[in-house]
Amino acid sequence: MKGHATKLIEVTEKHADRIALQWLGDVRMNPKTPSYHTFSDEKALSHAAAFYRNFRTLFCTEKPFDAARKFFTKYADERYAEGIPLHEAIYALILMRRHIWLFSEFQTLFVSTVEHRQAAESLTRTILLFDYATYVITERYEELMKREMEERIRRDGRAGGRQQAAGVRPK
Amino acid sequence: MQAVATKLIDVTEANAEKIARQWFADVRKNPKTPSYHNLSEDRAIPQAVDFYQKFRGVFAAKSPFEEARRVYTKYADESYRFGIPLHEAIYALTLMRRHIWLYAEFQALFVSAVEQQQAVESLNRTILLFDYATYVITDRYQELMKGEIDKQLSALRALGMEESFTGSKVGIMACLLVACGFLTYYYHAVMASGVIFTHLFYIPIVLAGIWWRKKGIAVSVLLGLILIGSHLIFMKGVPLTDDLIRAIMFVVVSSVVALLAEGFSKIEVLYRSAPQAGTAVET
Repeated sequence: MKGHATKLIEVTEKHADRIALQWLGDVRMNPKTPSYHTFSDEKALSHAAAFYRNFRTLFCTEKPFDAARKFFTKYADERYAEGIPLHEAIYALILMRRHIWLFSEFQTLFVSTVEHRQAAESLTRTILLFDYATYVITERYEELMKREMEERIRRDGRAGGRQQAAGVRPK
Repeated sequence: MQAVATKLIDVTEANAEKIARQWFADVRKNPKTPSYHNLSEDRAIPQAVDFYQKFRGVFAAKSPFEEARRVYTKYADESYRFGIPLHEAIYALTLMRRHIWLYAEFQALFVSAVEQQQAVESLNRTILLFDYATYVITDRYQELMKGEIDKQLSALRALGMEESFTGSKVGIMACLLVACGFLTYYYHAVMASGVIFTHLFYIPIVLAGIWWRKKGIAVSVLLGLILIGSHLIFMKGVPLTDDLIRAIMFVVVSSVVALLAEGFSKIEVLYRSAPQAGTAVET
Protein backbone atom coordinates (compact mmCIF):
# COMPACT_ATOMS: atom_id res chain seq x y z
CA MET A 1 0.00 0.00 0.00
CA LYS A 2 2.89 2.31 0.78
CA GLY A 3 3.77 3.15 -2.85
CA HIS A 4 0.26 3.82 -3.91
CA ALA A 5 -0.57 5.65 -0.73
CA THR A 6 2.40 7.93 -1.29
CA LYS A 7 1.13 8.65 -4.78
CA LEU A 8 -2.34 9.52 -3.50
CA ILE A 9 -1.00 11.59 -0.62
CA GLU A 10 1.44 13.45 -2.80
CA VAL A 11 -1.24 14.35 -5.31
CA THR A 12 -3.61 15.42 -2.53
CA GLU A 13 -0.97 17.51 -0.77
CA LYS A 14 0.37 19.06 -3.93
CA HIS A 15 -3.06 20.04 -5.19
CA ALA A 16 -4.66 20.77 -1.82
CA ASP A 17 -5.82 24.23 -2.86
CA ARG A 18 -7.19 23.03 -6.19
CA ILE A 19 -9.08 20.11 -4.66
CA ALA A 20 -10.36 22.42 -1.93
CA LEU A 21 -11.64 24.79 -4.59
CA GLN A 22 -13.48 21.98 -6.37
CA TRP A 23 -14.94 20.88 -3.05
CA LEU A 24 -16.09 24.44 -2.37
CA GLY A 25 -17.86 24.55 -5.73
CA ASP A 26 -19.67 21.38 -4.70
CA VAL A 27 -20.76 22.34 -1.14
CA ARG A 28 -21.81 25.74 -2.43
CA MET A 29 -24.45 24.15 -4.65
CA ASN A 30 -25.16 20.85 -2.94
CA PRO A 31 -28.71 20.73 -1.53
CA LYS A 32 -27.46 18.64 1.38
CA THR A 33 -25.11 21.39 2.60
CA PRO A 34 -27.26 24.57 2.60
CA SER A 35 -25.29 26.16 5.44
CA TYR A 36 -22.28 26.36 3.14
CA HIS A 37 -24.21 28.21 0.45
CA THR A 38 -23.72 31.52 2.24
CA PHE A 39 -20.53 30.66 4.08
CA SER A 40 -17.44 32.75 3.48
CA ASP A 41 -15.18 31.36 0.72
CA GLU A 42 -12.05 32.08 2.66
CA LYS A 43 -13.12 30.17 5.75
CA ALA A 44 -14.53 27.19 3.89
CA LEU A 45 -11.41 26.90 1.75
CA SER A 46 -9.18 27.02 4.79
CA HIS A 47 -11.12 24.07 6.34
CA ALA A 48 -10.70 21.95 3.25
CA ALA A 49 -7.08 22.91 2.58
CA ALA A 50 -6.16 22.15 6.22
CA PHE A 51 -7.74 18.76 5.86
CA TYR A 52 -5.96 17.94 2.61
CA ARG A 53 -2.63 19.08 4.00
CA ASN A 54 -3.08 16.88 7.06
CA PHE A 55 -4.12 13.91 4.98
CA ARG A 56 -0.64 12.37 5.05
CA THR A 57 -0.46 12.41 8.84
CA LEU A 58 -3.91 10.85 9.14
CA PHE A 59 -3.28 8.30 6.42
CA CYS A 60 0.15 7.10 7.49
CA THR A 61 -0.17 7.09 11.25
CA GLU A 62 0.21 3.87 13.20
CA LYS A 63 -2.72 4.79 15.39
CA PRO A 64 -5.30 6.14 12.95
CA PHE A 65 -8.07 6.47 15.53
CA ASP A 66 -5.99 8.60 17.86
CA ALA A 67 -4.85 10.81 15.00
CA ALA A 68 -8.44 11.08 13.76
CA ARG A 69 -9.66 11.98 17.23
CA LYS A 70 -7.09 14.75 17.51
CA PHE A 71 -7.74 16.25 14.10
CA PHE A 72 -11.51 15.82 13.84
CA THR A 73 -12.25 16.98 17.36
CA LYS A 74 -10.80 20.31 16.28
CA TYR A 75 -12.80 20.11 13.06
CA ALA A 76 -16.00 19.49 15.03
CA ASP A 77 -15.24 22.32 17.47
CA GLU A 78 -14.73 24.77 14.64
CA ARG A 79 -17.80 23.72 12.65
CA TYR A 80 -19.93 23.80 15.78
CA ALA A 81 -18.73 27.28 16.62
CA GLU A 82 -19.54 28.35 13.06
CA GLY A 83 -23.08 27.05 13.43
CA ILE A 84 -22.90 24.23 10.88
CA PRO A 85 -25.45 21.49 11.67
CA LEU A 86 -23.98 18.07 12.37
CA HIS A 87 -25.39 16.32 9.29
CA GLU A 88 -24.01 19.05 7.05
CA ALA A 89 -20.60 19.07 8.72
CA ILE A 90 -20.36 15.33 8.12
CA TYR A 91 -21.63 15.54 4.58
CA ALA A 92 -19.14 18.30 3.78
CA LEU A 93 -16.41 15.98 5.04
CA ILE A 94 -17.76 13.14 2.91
CA LEU A 95 -17.53 15.47 -0.07
CA MET A 96 -13.92 16.26 0.86
CA ARG A 97 -13.17 12.56 0.65
CA ARG A 98 -14.99 12.23 -2.66
CA HIS A 99 -13.01 15.09 -4.14
CA ILE A 100 -9.73 13.38 -3.33
CA TRP A 101 -10.89 10.43 -5.39
CA LEU A 102 -12.43 12.50 -8.13
CA PHE A 103 -9.16 14.34 -8.48
CA SER A 104 -7.06 11.22 -8.45
CA GLU A 105 -9.35 9.60 -11.02
CA PHE A 106 -9.12 12.69 -13.17
CA GLN A 107 -5.33 12.48 -12.93
CA THR A 108 -5.60 8.79 -13.92
CA LEU A 109 -3.47 7.68 -11.00
CA PHE A 110 -4.69 4.10 -11.15
CA VAL A 111 -4.37 2.50 -14.52
CA SER A 112 -2.71 -0.90 -14.35
CA THR A 113 -4.15 -4.01 -12.71
CA VAL A 114 -1.71 -3.74 -9.84
CA GLU A 115 -2.70 -0.15 -9.34
CA HIS A 116 -6.33 -1.17 -9.24
CA ARG A 117 -5.61 -3.57 -6.46
CA GLN A 118 -3.69 -0.86 -4.64
CA ALA A 119 -6.55 1.53 -5.25
CA ALA A 120 -8.91 -0.85 -3.49
CA GLU A 121 -6.55 -1.04 -0.51
CA SER A 122 -6.04 2.67 -0.45
CA LEU A 123 -9.77 3.25 -0.68
CA THR A 124 -10.31 0.92 2.26
CA ARG A 125 -7.78 2.86 4.30
CA THR A 126 -9.38 6.19 3.42
CA ILE A 127 -12.80 4.83 4.32
CA LEU A 128 -11.47 3.63 7.67
CA LEU A 129 -10.23 7.15 8.40
CA PHE A 130 -13.59 8.60 7.53
CA ASP A 131 -15.43 6.06 9.62
CA TYR A 132 -13.37 7.25 12.56
CA ALA A 133 -13.91 10.86 11.56
CA THR A 134 -17.69 10.44 11.50
CA TYR A 135 -17.61 8.77 14.89
CA VAL A 136 -15.39 11.43 16.45
CA ILE A 137 -17.33 14.37 14.98
CA THR A 138 -20.74 12.99 15.96
CA GLU A 139 -19.59 12.21 19.47
CA ARG A 140 -17.99 15.62 19.82
CA TYR A 141 -21.08 17.46 18.57
CA GLU A 142 -23.24 15.62 21.11
CA GLU A 143 -20.77 16.60 23.82
CA LEU A 144 -20.69 20.23 22.68
CA MET A 145 -24.48 20.48 22.53
CA LYS A 146 -24.79 19.02 26.01
CA ARG A 147 -22.07 21.29 27.36
CA GLU A 148 -23.60 24.37 25.79
CA MET A 149 -27.00 23.58 27.25
CA GLU A 150 -25.51 23.08 30.71
CA GLU A 151 -23.55 26.30 30.44
CA ARG A 152 -26.64 28.18 29.34
CA ILE A 153 -28.64 26.80 32.24
CA ARG A 154 -25.93 28.01 34.61
CA ARG A 155 -25.28 31.35 32.91
CA ASP A 156 -28.60 32.40 31.45
CA GLY A 157 -30.98 30.64 33.80
CA ARG A 158 -31.55 33.76 35.83
CA ALA A 159 -31.96 35.96 32.79
CA GLY A 160 -34.50 33.50 31.36
CA GLY A 161 -36.38 33.49 34.63
CA ARG A 162 -36.47 37.29 34.73
CA GLN A 163 -37.70 37.35 31.16
CA GLN A 164 -40.50 34.98 32.06
CA ALA A 165 -41.36 36.88 35.22
CA ALA A 166 -41.67 39.98 33.06
CA GLY A 167 -44.14 38.06 30.93
CA VAL A 168 -41.96 37.68 27.82
CA ARG A 169 -42.92 34.49 26.00
CA PRO A 170 -40.16 32.58 24.26
CA LYS A 171 -40.49 32.64 20.51
CA MET B 1 -20.72 -3.64 -11.96
CA GLN B 2 -23.97 -5.51 -12.27
CA ALA B 3 -22.44 -8.99 -12.05
CA VAL B 4 -20.23 -8.37 -9.08
CA ALA B 5 -22.99 -6.37 -7.42
CA THR B 6 -25.37 -9.29 -7.90
CA LYS B 7 -22.74 -11.59 -6.46
CA LEU B 8 -22.22 -9.36 -3.45
CA ILE B 9 -25.94 -8.85 -2.92
CA ASP B 10 -26.71 -12.54 -3.33
CA VAL B 11 -24.10 -13.51 -0.76
CA THR B 12 -25.28 -10.80 1.64
CA GLU B 13 -28.93 -11.74 1.31
CA ALA B 14 -28.37 -15.49 1.52
CA ASN B 15 -26.22 -15.13 4.62
CA ALA B 16 -28.01 -12.20 6.26
CA GLU B 17 -28.52 -14.00 9.56
CA LYS B 18 -24.93 -15.25 9.67
CA ILE B 19 -23.43 -11.83 8.87
CA ALA B 20 -25.81 -10.21 11.36
CA ARG B 21 -24.56 -12.55 14.09
CA GLN B 22 -20.94 -11.75 13.28
CA TRP B 23 -21.80 -8.07 13.40
CA PHE B 24 -23.57 -8.49 16.71
CA ALA B 25 -20.55 -10.25 18.23
CA ASP B 26 -18.51 -7.26 17.11
CA VAL B 27 -20.75 -4.47 18.48
CA ARG B 28 -21.14 -6.48 21.67
CA LYS B 29 -17.43 -6.10 22.39
CA ASN B 30 -16.45 -2.99 20.48
CA PRO B 31 -15.43 -0.16 22.83
CA LYS B 32 -16.98 2.35 20.43
CA THR B 33 -20.45 0.83 20.80
CA PRO B 34 -20.97 0.39 24.56
CA SER B 35 -24.75 0.82 24.28
CA TYR B 36 -24.88 -2.43 22.33
CA HIS B 37 -23.03 -4.36 25.03
CA ASN B 38 -26.26 -4.83 26.96
CA LEU B 39 -28.70 -4.68 24.06
CA SER B 40 -30.66 -7.90 23.73
CA GLU B 41 -30.03 -10.19 20.80
CA ASP B 42 -33.76 -10.13 19.99
CA ARG B 43 -33.58 -6.45 19.26
CA ALA B 44 -30.19 -6.06 17.61
CA ILE B 45 -30.07 -9.06 15.29
CA PRO B 46 -33.45 -8.53 13.55
CA GLN B 47 -32.38 -4.94 12.89
CA ALA B 48 -29.16 -6.12 11.22
CA VAL B 49 -30.90 -8.93 9.31
CA ASP B 50 -33.48 -6.45 8.03
CA PHE B 51 -30.65 -4.17 6.98
CA TYR B 52 -28.85 -6.92 5.04
CA GLN B 53 -32.04 -8.10 3.41
CA LYS B 54 -32.82 -4.59 2.21
CA PHE B 55 -29.31 -4.13 0.88
CA ARG B 56 -30.35 -5.17 -2.64
CA GLY B 57 -33.13 -2.59 -2.79
CA VAL B 58 -30.83 0.27 -1.77
CA PHE B 59 -27.86 -0.94 -3.79
CA ALA B 60 -29.78 -1.36 -7.02
CA ALA B 61 -32.14 1.62 -6.62
CA LYS B 62 -32.32 4.19 -9.40
CA SER B 63 -32.64 6.95 -6.81
CA PRO B 64 -30.33 5.62 -4.11
CA PHE B 65 -30.73 8.67 -1.90
CA GLU B 66 -34.51 8.37 -1.82
CA GLU B 67 -34.30 4.68 -1.07
CA ALA B 68 -31.60 5.29 1.55
CA ARG B 69 -33.80 7.90 3.19
CA ARG B 70 -36.66 5.44 3.41
CA VAL B 71 -34.61 2.54 4.78
CA TYR B 72 -32.27 4.42 7.10
CA THR B 73 -34.95 6.63 8.59
CA LYS B 74 -36.45 3.43 9.93
CA TYR B 75 -33.02 2.37 11.22
CA ALA B 76 -32.61 5.73 12.97
CA ASP B 77 -36.09 5.52 14.49
CA GLU B 78 -35.42 2.05 15.88
CA SER B 79 -31.98 2.89 17.22
CA TYR B 80 -33.31 6.04 18.83
CA ARG B 81 -36.09 4.02 20.45
CA PHE B 82 -33.50 1.55 21.78
CA GLY B 83 -31.69 4.49 23.41
CA ILE B 84 -28.57 4.23 21.26
CA PRO B 85 -26.59 7.50 21.03
CA LEU B 86 -26.14 8.86 17.51
CA HIS B 87 -22.39 8.27 17.24
CA GLU B 88 -22.85 4.64 18.28
CA ALA B 89 -25.77 4.08 15.89
CA ILE B 90 -23.61 5.33 13.05
CA TYR B 91 -20.62 3.30 14.12
CA ALA B 92 -22.78 0.19 14.36
CA LEU B 93 -23.91 0.84 10.80
CA THR B 94 -20.28 1.26 9.75
CA LEU B 95 -19.60 -2.14 11.28
CA MET B 96 -22.56 -3.58 9.35
CA ARG B 97 -20.92 -2.39 6.16
CA ARG B 98 -17.54 -3.80 7.19
CA HIS B 99 -19.08 -7.16 7.91
CA ILE B 100 -20.50 -7.35 4.40
CA TRP B 101 -16.97 -6.96 3.09
CA LEU B 102 -15.37 -9.20 5.65
CA TYR B 103 -17.79 -11.91 4.69
CA ALA B 104 -17.28 -11.31 0.96
CA GLU B 105 -13.51 -11.47 1.44
CA PHE B 106 -13.85 -14.58 3.51
CA GLN B 107 -15.88 -16.17 0.72
CA ALA B 108 -13.15 -15.08 -1.74
CA LEU B 109 -15.67 -13.35 -4.00
CA PHE B 110 -13.13 -11.14 -5.73
CA VAL B 111 -10.11 -13.05 -6.89
CA SER B 112 -9.32 -12.37 -10.52
CA ALA B 113 -8.03 -9.03 -11.83
CA VAL B 114 -11.39 -8.23 -13.41
CA GLU B 115 -13.13 -9.06 -10.16
CA GLN B 116 -10.71 -6.81 -8.29
CA GLN B 117 -11.63 -3.92 -10.55
CA GLN B 118 -15.29 -4.70 -10.08
CA ALA B 119 -14.71 -4.87 -6.35
CA VAL B 120 -13.44 -1.28 -6.38
CA GLU B 121 -16.54 -0.17 -8.27
CA SER B 122 -18.79 -2.13 -5.98
CA LEU B 123 -17.01 -0.72 -2.94
CA ASN B 124 -17.55 2.78 -4.31
CA ARG B 125 -21.26 2.13 -4.66
CA THR B 126 -21.49 0.72 -1.14
CA ILE B 127 -19.61 3.71 0.23
CA LEU B 128 -21.98 6.08 -1.56
CA LEU B 129 -24.94 4.34 0.06
CA PHE B 130 -23.36 4.57 3.47
CA ASP B 131 -22.56 8.23 2.95
CA TYR B 132 -26.26 8.77 2.36
CA ALA B 133 -27.08 6.57 5.33
CA THR B 134 -24.87 8.65 7.62
CA TYR B 135 -26.49 11.84 6.39
CA VAL B 136 -30.03 10.50 6.75
CA ILE B 137 -29.46 9.01 10.22
CA THR B 138 -27.75 12.13 11.57
CA ASP B 139 -30.48 14.34 10.19
CA ARG B 140 -33.21 12.07 11.53
CA TYR B 141 -31.68 11.81 15.00
CA GLN B 142 -31.59 15.59 15.29
CA GLU B 143 -35.22 15.69 14.18
CA LEU B 144 -36.15 13.04 16.75
CA MET B 145 -34.29 14.80 19.54
CA LYS B 146 -36.00 18.08 18.68
CA GLY B 147 -39.38 16.34 18.40
CA GLU B 148 -38.95 14.78 21.82
CA ILE B 149 -38.07 18.09 23.45
CA ASP B 150 -40.97 19.79 21.66
CA LYS B 151 -43.31 17.10 22.94
CA GLN B 152 -42.08 17.55 26.48
CA LEU B 153 -42.36 21.31 26.18
CA SER B 154 -45.89 21.09 24.83
CA ALA B 155 -46.79 19.00 27.88
CA LEU B 156 -45.39 21.82 30.03
CA ARG B 157 -47.32 24.39 28.04
CA ALA B 158 -50.48 22.34 28.49
CA LEU B 159 -49.82 22.42 32.22
CA GLY B 160 -49.48 26.19 32.02
CA MET B 161 -52.64 26.31 29.85
CA GLU B 162 -50.86 28.84 27.68
CA GLU B 163 -52.89 28.16 24.57
CA SER B 164 -56.29 27.12 25.87
CA PHE B 165 -56.92 29.98 28.28
CA THR B 166 -55.34 33.03 26.73
CA GLY B 167 -57.18 36.18 27.57
CA SER B 168 -59.52 34.73 30.22
CA LYS B 169 -57.12 33.88 33.04
CA VAL B 170 -57.97 37.03 35.01
CA GLY B 171 -61.69 36.29 34.59
CA ILE B 172 -61.32 32.70 35.75
CA MET B 173 -59.22 33.79 38.70
CA ALA B 174 -61.74 36.48 39.67
CA CYS B 175 -64.56 33.90 39.63
CA LEU B 176 -62.52 31.49 41.76
CA LEU B 177 -61.63 34.22 44.26
CA VAL B 178 -65.28 35.28 44.55
CA ALA B 179 -66.25 31.62 45.09
CA CYS B 180 -63.55 31.30 47.78
CA GLY B 181 -64.75 34.52 49.43
CA PHE B 182 -68.32 33.25 49.43
CA LEU B 183 -67.27 29.88 50.89
CA THR B 184 -65.31 31.62 53.63
CA TYR B 185 -68.27 33.83 54.48
CA TYR B 186 -70.71 30.88 54.39
CA TYR B 187 -68.64 28.62 56.63
CA HIS B 188 -67.48 31.32 59.06
CA ALA B 189 -70.61 33.51 59.30
CA VAL B 190 -73.45 31.03 58.65
CA MET B 191 -72.06 27.64 59.75
CA ALA B 192 -69.61 29.11 62.31
CA SER B 193 -67.19 26.37 61.39
CA GLY B 194 -63.67 26.13 60.07
CA VAL B 195 -64.01 22.72 58.39
CA ILE B 196 -61.83 21.72 55.50
CA PHE B 197 -63.40 24.03 52.88
CA THR B 198 -60.02 25.80 52.58
CA HIS B 199 -58.73 22.80 50.59
CA LEU B 200 -60.62 24.25 47.64
CA PHE B 201 -58.45 27.39 47.89
CA TYR B 202 -55.56 25.42 46.47
CA ILE B 203 -57.22 25.41 43.05
CA PRO B 204 -56.76 29.19 42.46
CA ILE B 205 -53.43 29.13 44.33
CA VAL B 206 -51.93 26.44 42.07
CA LEU B 207 -53.37 27.99 38.92
CA ALA B 208 -52.04 31.43 39.83
CA GLY B 209 -48.58 29.97 40.48
CA ILE B 210 -48.56 28.24 37.08
CA TRP B 211 -49.95 31.21 35.20
CA TRP B 212 -48.15 34.14 36.78
CA ARG B 213 -45.25 32.49 38.63
CA LYS B 214 -43.98 34.66 41.50
CA LYS B 215 -46.64 37.28 40.88
CA GLY B 216 -49.20 34.54 41.51
CA ILE B 217 -48.12 34.42 45.16
CA ALA B 218 -50.25 37.57 45.59
CA VAL B 219 -53.36 35.41 45.13
CA SER B 220 -52.36 33.16 48.03
CA VAL B 221 -51.64 36.22 50.19
CA LEU B 222 -55.05 37.64 49.31
CA LEU B 223 -56.81 34.37 50.15
CA GLY B 224 -54.88 34.15 53.41
CA LEU B 225 -55.96 37.68 54.33
CA ILE B 226 -59.60 36.89 53.44
CA LEU B 227 -59.45 33.79 55.65
CA ILE B 228 -57.86 35.57 58.62
CA GLY B 229 -60.06 38.68 58.20
CA SER B 230 -63.21 36.59 58.05
CA HIS B 231 -62.07 34.64 61.11
CA LEU B 232 -61.46 37.81 63.09
CA ILE B 233 -64.86 39.21 62.12
CA PHE B 234 -67.14 36.17 62.37
CA MET B 235 -65.35 33.71 64.68
CA LYS B 236 -64.05 35.90 67.46
CA GLY B 237 -64.28 33.22 70.16
CA VAL B 238 -62.34 30.58 68.23
CA PRO B 239 -58.50 30.52 68.36
CA LEU B 240 -56.86 31.88 65.18
CA THR B 241 -54.03 29.32 65.12
CA ASP B 242 -55.57 26.87 62.59
CA ASP B 243 -56.46 29.53 60.02
CA LEU B 244 -53.11 31.22 60.51
CA ILE B 245 -51.36 27.95 59.71
CA ARG B 246 -53.64 27.50 56.68
CA ALA B 247 -52.82 31.00 55.43
CA ILE B 248 -49.09 30.35 55.80
CA MET B 249 -49.50 27.04 53.92
CA PHE B 250 -51.21 28.93 51.07
CA VAL B 251 -48.13 31.08 50.63
CA VAL B 252 -45.75 28.12 50.95
CA VAL B 253 -47.62 26.03 48.36
CA SER B 254 -47.96 29.02 46.07
CA SER B 255 -44.21 29.73 46.29
CA VAL B 256 -43.31 26.12 45.51
CA VAL B 257 -45.65 26.05 42.49
CA ALA B 258 -44.30 29.41 41.29
CA LEU B 259 -40.71 28.19 41.58
CA LEU B 260 -41.51 24.99 39.69
CA ALA B 261 -43.38 26.86 36.97
CA GLU B 262 -40.49 29.28 36.67
CA GLY B 263 -38.06 26.38 36.37
CA PHE B 264 -40.12 24.91 33.52
CA SER B 265 -40.19 28.30 31.82
CA LYS B 266 -36.44 28.63 32.11
CA ILE B 267 -35.99 25.27 30.44
CA GLU B 268 -38.30 26.34 27.63
CA VAL B 269 -36.52 29.69 27.22
CA LEU B 270 -33.13 27.99 27.17
CA TYR B 271 -34.25 25.45 24.64
CA ARG B 272 -35.88 28.02 22.37
CA SER B 273 -32.93 30.40 22.53
CA ALA B 274 -30.18 27.77 22.33
CA PRO B 275 -28.48 27.90 18.93
CA GLN B 276 -29.00 24.34 17.71
CA ALA B 277 -25.68 24.01 15.94
CA GLY B 278 -26.45 25.40 12.57
CA THR B 279 -29.15 27.95 13.05
CA ALA B 280 -26.82 30.92 12.86
CA VAL B 281 -24.27 30.54 10.13
CA GLU B 282 -21.40 32.97 10.01
CA THR B 283 -20.68 34.34 6.59
